[in-house]
Amino acid sequence: MERVPYWNISFGLLIDILSLPALAIFGYGIYRHWLRIRQGKANIKLGLTLEALKVGPLYLRSFITRGIVGTRIYKKLFTGVAHGLLFWGMIVLTVGTVLVFANVLFGIPVFRGEFNRLCMGAFLDVAGLAALAGVLFLLIRRLFPPERLTCFKANTGFILMEVGIIAIIVTGFFIEGARIAQNGADPGSFVGNWLAAQLTGGGGLSTIHRYLWWSHGLIALALIAYIPYSPLVHLVLAPANAGLDIPVPGPKMGVVDFEAFEGEGEEETPSLGVSKLADFSRKNLLDISTCLKCGRCHEVCPAAQTGKKLSPKGVMTTLAEYLQQGKMDDESLLDTITTDAIYSCTTCAACMEACPVAVNQPNAILRMRQHLLMERSEMPEIMGQANRSLEARHHPFIGTGFGPNDWRKGLEVPIFEKGKTEYLLWIGCSIAYEERAQHVGRAMVAILKNAGVSFGILEENRCTGDPAKQMGNEFLFTEIAGQNIEEFNELGVTKVITMCPHCFNSFTRHYPLLGAKFEVIPHAVLIRNLIASGAIWLKNSGLAICYHDPCYLGRHNRLFSEPRQVVSSIGKLVEMPRNGCESFCCGAGGGNYWTEEEGTRINQTRAKEALDTGAKTIATACPFCMLMLTDGLKKFTEEQLVKDIAELVCSQMEA
Amino acid sequence: MHIVVLAKVVPDYEVPSADFELVENRAHPRYTRMIGLYDENAVELGVQLKEKLGADLTIVSYGLSDDVQFLRKALAMGADKVVLVEGNSDDPYVIAANLKDAIGRQGNVDLVLAGRQSSDMDRGVVPGVLAGMLDLPFVPQACSVESAEGGWKIAQITEIGKRLLKLSGKGVLSITSVPENVPRIPAVKAIFAAKKKPVEKLAEIGARKMSISELSVSIPKVESNCEQIPAEDMDDAVRQLLRRLKEERYL
Repeated sequence: MERVPYWNISFGLLIDILSLPALAIFGYGIYRHWLRIRQGKANIKLGLTLEALKVGPLYLRSFITRGIVGTRIYKKLFTGVAHGLLFWGMIVLTVGTVLVFANVLFGIPVFRGEFNRLCMGAFLDVAGLAALAGVLFLLIRRLFPPERLTCFKANTGFILMEVGIIAIIVTGFFIEGARIAQNGADPGSFVGNWLAAQLTGGGGLSTIHRYLWWSHGLIALALIAYIPYSPLVHLVLAPANAGLDIPVPGPKMGVVDFEAFEGEGEEETPSLGVSKLADFSRKNLLDISTCLKCGRCHEVCPAAQTGKKLSPKGVMTTLAEYLQQGKMDDESLLDTITTDAIYSCTTCAACMEACPVAVNQPNAILRMRQHLLMERSEMPEIMGQANRSLEARHHPFIGTGFGPNDWRKGLEVPIFEKGKTEYLLWIGCSIAYEERAQHVGRAMVAILKNAGVSFGILEENRCTGDPAKQMGNEFLFTEIAGQNIEEFNELGVTKVITMCPHCFNSFTRHYPLLGAKFEVIPHAVLIRNLIASGAIWLKNSGLAICYHDPCYLGRHNRLFSEPRQVVSSIGKLVEMPRNGCESFCCGAGGGNYWTEEEGTRINQTRAKEALDTGAKTIATACPFCMLMLTDGLKKFTEEQLVKDIAELVCSQMEA
Repeated sequence: MHIVVLAKVVPDYEVPSADFELVENRAHPRYTRMIGLYDENAVELGVQLKEKLGADLTIVSYGLSDDVQFLRKALAMGADKVVLVEGNSDDPYVIAANLKDAIGRQGNVDLVLAGRQSSDMDRGVVPGVLAGMLDLPFVPQACSVESAEGGWKIAQITEIGKRLLKLSGKGVLSITSVPENVPRIPAVKAIFAAKKKPVEKLAEIGARKMSISELSVSIPKVESNCEQIPAEDMDDAVRQLLRRLKEERYL
């Protein structure tokens, strides 16, 4: 017999009618979120031309992968699968319910033949079981939560929703069973058929069925209406947040147009950075609303994991509390989060990488840092000194024993000549002023000479200004960058080689916004190309070399394979447990090279991880990582194991 | 109330010794320039007094015309005005006479602060000479100042402690560094505001020189000799090192 929808139910359409107020309450809740979010400022324009597919404001790829499919959530396999079962199970069940409704209203024949047996029967039962398994796992995990869920503040709203979902699924199965028990087996509905066999209520069954049917419908509607007022609102916010995430890796800081401030009085100048919620962009506020306090960022944050005052989850939790309480103009925000926490961020972006819902934590932290530095002049002491050195001397290496040209003493290095030289070899600060890093510069010069590349350096060596930017001093960065761009233009520089990923990132992400027009190639990529084209020949030692991903080459610029290809051509590549996009920071980023660390030292943690691979050489492609790991390793061994890839290549080069 | 702080723009005072070179007996012009180390402490103290007392704060300097860009930092820190006498003499009499002339043009000045010594010549002479020319008391090595009835209460740092002094009326103080006068880092807004604060440039006046002439200037040559200490373990290495240092009379 063909299944009769709303069997045994009088006025069943009432449920469908009630869905209208439920949806209205749902819509109002979402609208309230929108009202909150739109109090933020317009989003930062990155001024980059992206070839990403866009529908309205939504970037399609991220919307579908990170937003709908939720790819990142599967990085924790069990949670990911449970979440997937629940989400897709509920989607299928919702579609099934809509089909029933379509059958009632328009007579669409869904209860016939194979479609009924496979889809309306078997598939819906499978979906129900899947969703039930998923939600049970998630409920148990909420009841016995890991630390990441409870630290700072647990998101308490989930348990009620999970119990609600379980009630919906269980009542659904029993309704099916009770109906089948009275009307005879339904082809394909294996769960319903089995349950029906167990039910022996006789006449009472139809009453129970009726009560269950109404509870099932009412709970479902209540749950839908309640979604925007519960953590389940991530059903809407997460895809939106993922879709609005500009598809450029890293914190997407943009630049500040200081020229607009010229000629303004002290009072009229807008407040720089973020001192209160209202200063954040709409995307920041959406981030804050979307964050589910899952704590995945807390688990991967180098600061949080080594006893610093910062946890990205802690910051997002505080921000969410302020937003929840409507404290848009409350300037106690920064003091609540604390200066220490705000400066402890190494901007490594591990949090962003781990976040399943595309929250940009470092952006929020760095914007608050900008305010502390540029408005309140508050910063840790050593950072302050580095900052002043950058301002006065154009490099942050306080107390260096070297002049700008000492790194190339006794070495013939060509100076960039306008119209003649092809590449500018950009030296930057660490390679000039830090003794250990000077070897990287010398090695790179040897490689370029050996390969016959036309290159030259600037007569006067300078910093990109990136450390200032990462410390929050956007103003100083803009000034230094402006001078560099001017000099590059005068010299007609069109191609730049960088040895420091921070310089590379600054040149490619921020300089174009200030008017720069030149190509930049990081030394890892250039060396890879030189090897591939046969411009340099290397002996492969066959010895194990462990490669540490610099955050600004890897996570921020997705250059994972190029440096590995270089390493593989001189030895045997060995990986640390945390590698590639999950690499653990050396601790130097975000200006934290110039800081007095609290708690365990990040560089020691990472150096130990590298040492534990057993490799006798630790390679990296960033002078700061090299310096930090060299220093970190001193705790465990006296041997000098850390080398830049340029040094390794240079030592294996055949003339 | 009107306070004047003397500030001198000097070549980078933290150039690594190995990189330091002279041109015509002075630091090579390639080094960046900045306000002297102790002068910044004096500016900071001046700004603190200004904030406390509502005083006017003027920076008076003797130096090159291009030094204005570096003196603006003092304006960003909170000073109201810069007066620069353009000149390039290193003679303390000439400098002091020019500073006296510039201060004289500022109307009634209640207090003059200066760094305890410049960061290039390191003599610490000018403030004292200036006090003599102004016929005012001179307090060297001061670290803090408070306004007191008809004058100032001053703390002076001695080698082993602190002396509290009462100065009646006006005076010239040279300031040394203490944690309380670590120069502030100006906020960006203040840097922008400083661009609009007044800068007055004065021509140098002729003045008698000290009867001292410079015969030569030299800087110590830095030599580094590396010697490996052959040792089995740490203890042995330390023992050997100590013996060697004593032999070479470093200890």
